[in-house]
Amino acid sequence: MESLGLLSRRAALQAAACGFGYLALSGLTARASSPGPHLAARAKRVIFLFMQGGVSQVDSFDYKPRLERDDGKRLAFDDARVLANTGMRGSSHRVMKPLWKFRQHGQCGRWASDLFPKLNEHVDDLCFIHSLHTEGVAHGPATLFLHCGSTNFVRPSIGSWILYGLGSANENLPGFVSIAPSSGNGGPRNFGNAFLPAKYQGTALGKAGGPVSDAVFRNLTHPRLSPHAQRRQLDLLQAINEEQLRGKPGDTELDAVIRSYELGWKMQQNAPDVLDLSRETEATRRLYGIGAKETDRFGTQCLMARRLCEAGVRFVQVTYGDNTANPAWDQHSTLAKHAVHAQAVDQPISGLLTDLKARGLLDDTLVWWGSEFGRTPYAEKNGTGRDHNPGGFTVWLAGGGVRPGVAHGKTDEFGFAAVENKVHMHDLHATILHQLGLDHEKLTYRYSGRDFRLTDVHGHVVREILS
Amino acid sequence: MRWLGIVVVVVLNPSWVWADERLAFFEKKIRPVLVEQCYSCHSAEAQAKKKLRGGLRLDTREGLLMGGDSGPAVVPGKPDESLLLRSLRHDGDVKMPPKGKLSDAILADFATWIAKGAVDPRSGSVSRQQGLSLEQGRAFWAYQPLRPAPGSIDDQLSRKWRANGLQPTPQADRPTLIRRLSFDLLGLPPSPEEIDAFVGDDRPDAYERLVDRLLASPHFGERWGRHWLDLARYADSLTLRGFVLKQAWRYRDYVIDCFNADVPYDRFVREQIAGDLLPADSAEARRRQLIATTFLTLGNTNLEEQDKSQLRMDVVDEQLDTIGRAILAQTIGCARCHDHKFDPIPTRDYYALAGILRNTRTLTHANVSMWLELPLPAEPAVEQRLREHEAAIATLQRQITALKSRQKSTPQARAITELPGIVVDDTQARKVGTWIDSKHTAPFVGAGYVHDGNTDKGEKTITFQPKIETTGKYEVLLSYSPGTNRAARVPVTIFSADGEKTIHLDMRKPPSKQGLFVSLGEFTFEKSGQGFVLIANEGTTGHVIADAVVFLPSGTTLPTKKIDELAELEAKLKRLQASGPRREMVMSVQEEKQIEDARIHIRGNVHKQGELVPRGVLQVALRGEAPRMPAQQSGRRELADWLASPANPLTARVFANRVWYWLLGEGLVRTVDNFGTTGEKPDHPELLDTLAAKFIEDGWSIKALVRRIVLSHTYRRASGRQPRDPENRLWSHTNRRRLDAESIRDTILTVSGQLRLDRGGPTYPATLASDYHYQHHDMRRSVYAPVFRNALPELFEVFDFADPSVSTGRRNHSTVAPQALFLMNHPLVLQQAEQAARRLLARDDLDDGARLDWLYRQALGRLPTPGERSMVQAYLDQAKERTAGWAQVVQVVFASLDFRYLH
Repeated sequence: MESLGLLSRRAALQAAACGFGYLALSGLTARASSPGPHLAARAKRVIFLFMQGGVSQVDSFDYKPRLERDDGKRLAFDDARVLANTGMRGSSHRVMKPLWKFRQHGQCGRWASDLFPKLNEHVDDLCFIHSLHTEGVAHGPATLFLHCGSTNFVRPSIGSWILYGLGSANENLPGFVSIAPSSGNGGPRNFGNAFLPAKYQGTALGKAGGPVSDAVFRNLTHPRLSPHAQRRQLDLLQAINEEQLRGKPGDTELDAVIRSYELGWKMQQNAPDVLDLSRETEATRRLYGIGAKETDRFGTQCLMARRLCEAGVRFVQVTYGDNTANPAWDQHSTLAKHAVHAQAVDQPISGLLTDLKARGLLDDTLVWWGSEFGRTPYAEKNGTGRDHNPGGFTVWLAGGGVRPGVAHGKTDEFGFAAVENKVHMHDLHATILHQLGLDHEKLTYRYSGRDFRLTDVHGHVVREILS
Repeated sequence: MRWLGIVVVVVLNPSWVWADERLAFFEKKIRPVLVEQCYSCHSAEAQAKKKLRGGLRLDTREGLLMGGDSGPAVVPGKPDESLLLRSLRHDGDVKMPPKGKLSDAILADFATWIAKGAVDPRSGSVSRQQGLSLEQGRAFWAYQPLRPAPGSIDDQLSRKWRANGLQPTPQADRPTLIRRLSFDLLGLPPSPEEIDAFVGDDRPDAYERLVDRLLASPHFGERWGRHWLDLARYADSLTLRGFVLKQAWRYRDYVIDCFNADVPYDRFVREQIAGDLLPADSAEARRRQLIATTFLTLGNTNLEEQDKSQLRMDVVDEQLDTIGRAILAQTIGCARCHDHKFDPIPTRDYYALAGILRNTRTLTHANVSMWLELPLPAEPAVEQRLREHEAAIATLQRQITALKSRQKSTPQARAITELPGIVVDDTQARKVGTWIDSKHTAPFVGAGYVHDGNTDKGEKTITFQPKIETTGKYEVLLSYSPGTNRAARVPVTIFSADGEKTIHLDMRKPPSKQGLFVSLGEFTFEKSGQGFVLIANEGTTGHVIADAVVFLPSGTTLPTKKIDELAELEAKLKRLQASGPRREMVMSVQEEKQIEDARIHIRGNVHKQGELVPRGVLQVALRGEAPRMPAQQSGRRELADWLASPANPLTARVFANRVWYWLLGEGLVRTVDNFGTTGEKPDHPELLDTLAAKFIEDGWSIKALVRRIVLSHTYRRASGRQPRDPENRLWSHTNRRRLDAESIRDTILTVSGQLRLDRGGPTYPATLASDYHYQHHDMRRSVYAPVFRNALPELFEVFDFADPSVSTGRRNHSTVAPQALFLMNHPLVLQQAEQAARRLLARDDLDDGARLDWLYRQALGRLPTPGERSMVQAYLDQAKERTAGWAQVVQVVFASLDFRYLH
């Protein structure tokens, strides 16, 4: 086969590692080098396990004995929804005790409920933040705030900022992947690049509620042609392109288009292997709960996340959710349903932590678990569920240079409002960027005449939780 | 006067005595704290390092008194009104210093100091203003009046080539020129016949004729309207919940029609900002103008925002941002929280403009707020029919409301006496365990019902035993009031002469009969037998309800009830609504009932309102008298008039620059959306001003402006490169440009013969409730593909279509592998390549060489080179199957450089 000088092109491409098949070009959008890192990095990548809908902190990790004591009593709370709608404080609500029993776990003696039994075995590796608070009372605004740091305006998502700050570590793969993202509550905006150049956009693998087999990179295979036959067709294309390029010497943009076909071809050869879970042992698959009915889907997605991380992806999000207006964890009624969701994620997350640790990946991988907000310690009127609570809730981090086995911050004695060492979502964002070697105040992008940041004009790094 | 002076001296004199003391107090107690705790963020030094926070300086007396973005820091004599002290006390939103509260002793010192007049010897002035002053701003080129220069485009530019010793490229050849012009004006490739006609036309005005033919084509509006739709962040859905904006397409068609009809740009702008307030001389004109205002409503708003005053301002902000960028190329939004850091736009100007739009209602607020859909006026005859129909509906609706309120005031209880058969109410039933009385949720039989309180599961039962007078078959009906907290599987056991039968009822669901009863079936009950119905709470989760059981002798039926009367009316209403003439609706805005000016929102916070600002426009761009804002109207009409005025220095310049950019690939001002100080300056200010002035002179005719530019030799030059002017600032040649997403798709469909050229109207099913996972199959031109924010066609996403959530004057230009992969593997490309192959092979009149000629001419506007011809022939010779081989060749042509670029 005539190679038409393509081999040398391929060699040249290998040297030009800069993003998801991106070739530095075009004055307006190209940014040849990344603006970061600004600091020594403690983590190289992030896995975000998004519990869509709002896990109840008082039924899982934020132990409040007072709820048992005052169960059923009517007390005054500053209901966030009422406050946003009317500015009125002190609405009367009926306290509801946790549905799961709390016990102490691990060396650190962390109180946690029986909701996540497997995860409780890892408490000595986890860093809990009990005092998180955020913006947005409804799912849409709060979910956008969680991902983009704004409840309403179109802003880049955290994964896009990170990729922009650090660049990709593997030119054959996208640097930011969102597994099974939800269409609802901001949908693609939650992994969007907004005004950042398109190469920083998150790549969706599958969709919430879709079959696991949907989670593939798009357009990576030709439905009919064998690789050999397709290469032959590609050689014709490149020969014709060379012919068309003749007489237009020195046009770097046209040259880049020619190279993009070679890069595409290379991705086509390599990327599918990353998602091929048949390369994993049966023991590993079992560890993630793959094969068991309840945990198969989320387990598969968590294992994919680990493989993507190993292959150099900077930010992998795995969403446990769906496309409805009341997504997965949103138990306004029948809080007992939390158990169904917990069962679906407990073994997979536990397996992921075990696996990352065993492979030495947990040291430089920051695992982040959480929801867009928490839930109220009081019951909805139906008496069986809890409402949204952006004023105080729990997330945990693991690995990536955060202190293991600690709990930071406190909510009040009902687990309702963050009161001690409060951590705003902007602060959490700043801290995550910090661990990756990015200064949230320096990670800026000029658009429409001004410099934008993930944390806008806010955010403080939570240094107390860093090891 | 003299004695007054004396009095003053007398009063002031003691303070002279104290001043030393108070000075000493400041030096000892206050200054050290300020230096140590505050200067790192609130001093001249911090300002120099760009680390000044909150616009506040605490290193001079003036800084203290003037304060920062939140207002004065110190009110001498009034500690409790002084923001500085409140912040130090951590009393309010701002808590200073951020590291932690200072000691009580220090706080007491500050209180004393302020109470005693806040004596502060530190001099030095503070400049709050960070950007240009209004005076400086008015001298900036973009805010200056137009200064046109004599001479055509070519004259003005050729002087510059000569001065720089550049040799321009010659004119492009005719096939290149017609391809360039067809894509630029219509977004479609020329057909081989059109190429032949142009190449063969030896009349001296052949080119002018071509230009005029293309300008008159209805496809012109489809191409140029799309440019505007990018600026208008046009979309057919919201990201939130995938809500479909069912009326948005009317606006898309309005824009296309305006470009086709060459509606003057000033009118076009006016209609979009204030079409609802402008006079209209016909129903048709009124319709168009209402549709134009959809422009204001297309923001990708988060309707779920619970803080509705915040949402109201977010909508205003989005509108201002869009108007600012699209029409004025200004970044007005920067001034929402503080004076613009670079441009002469003070926060006051922002709220002067915001006040106008705040008087305009864009949403109806609810838990999930909604955009407004208003009726479109119709022609008189249609209007008459519509009115009658609407009146009939209104009457029915009134009846239904009245009936409902009657039913509400009398709880929907069914009296036991109203019911046939044997009725056993909960009051007569035998209870085991505690059953709680309730009337909370209607309907029910008798005075109420009982429930198990969702407690003591397995320990409660309730038995309904009838007194049977006649042995026979009875239908057993059980009533309960449903609700979401009810149990889903309530065991109900019927003991009859037929034996024992247990049925599980889902009490969350409404009962099937009259919303009150479920039938448990027909059973035999004997006069002296032991028949009864037993409800237990064993194994249930949620509340178990027990209300009444009715034993209906076989053949008897339940009498209908007023509930059915309601159902009947509602059904009738539904039928009427479905049948009659439908009034067409439009997404539009309304004037607020209360017209008012807005207050400055301190640091953009809707709950921290400052000074009231009279409505107005951007002062820096105001030439002549300020528009007078009416007391009874929002001021949008005045805003529209100011925007569309020839005296506005921005509007015509910005648009003329955009047209140049759309035709030549770069603007004369390269930052097409930013004519502020952070944008680029024009390369040829006099040329830009000349084009803008001619544009106004030609009655704001867009077609005349387009014509002027494409007729220039500058536009017609061959593309190339000029090493001495790599960015082509002097336009000695034209830029090579890529085809955008729409043109790629439309050309692929043209080559395959699948493109439908019909125009306008909605292009997705009317029943579509959400855009999630929408599959695009329509074969119409790309401009008609619904712009679904959660489901853009993949080709659009991959090839840099404008983000439909923000006003976009300049799309991204990326060259990325996903584009290559799309052209290599995507089903759309493969299918259309195959269609094109079949189409080619069906041409029995052509041999393979002629087929290739046709393909090249249709797709690339030229014949294949000998090299291309031989490579393709060699490839086809090896193909096992002819159609497949040709399809692969067509696909190669789609992916080739000359397809993807305009030369």
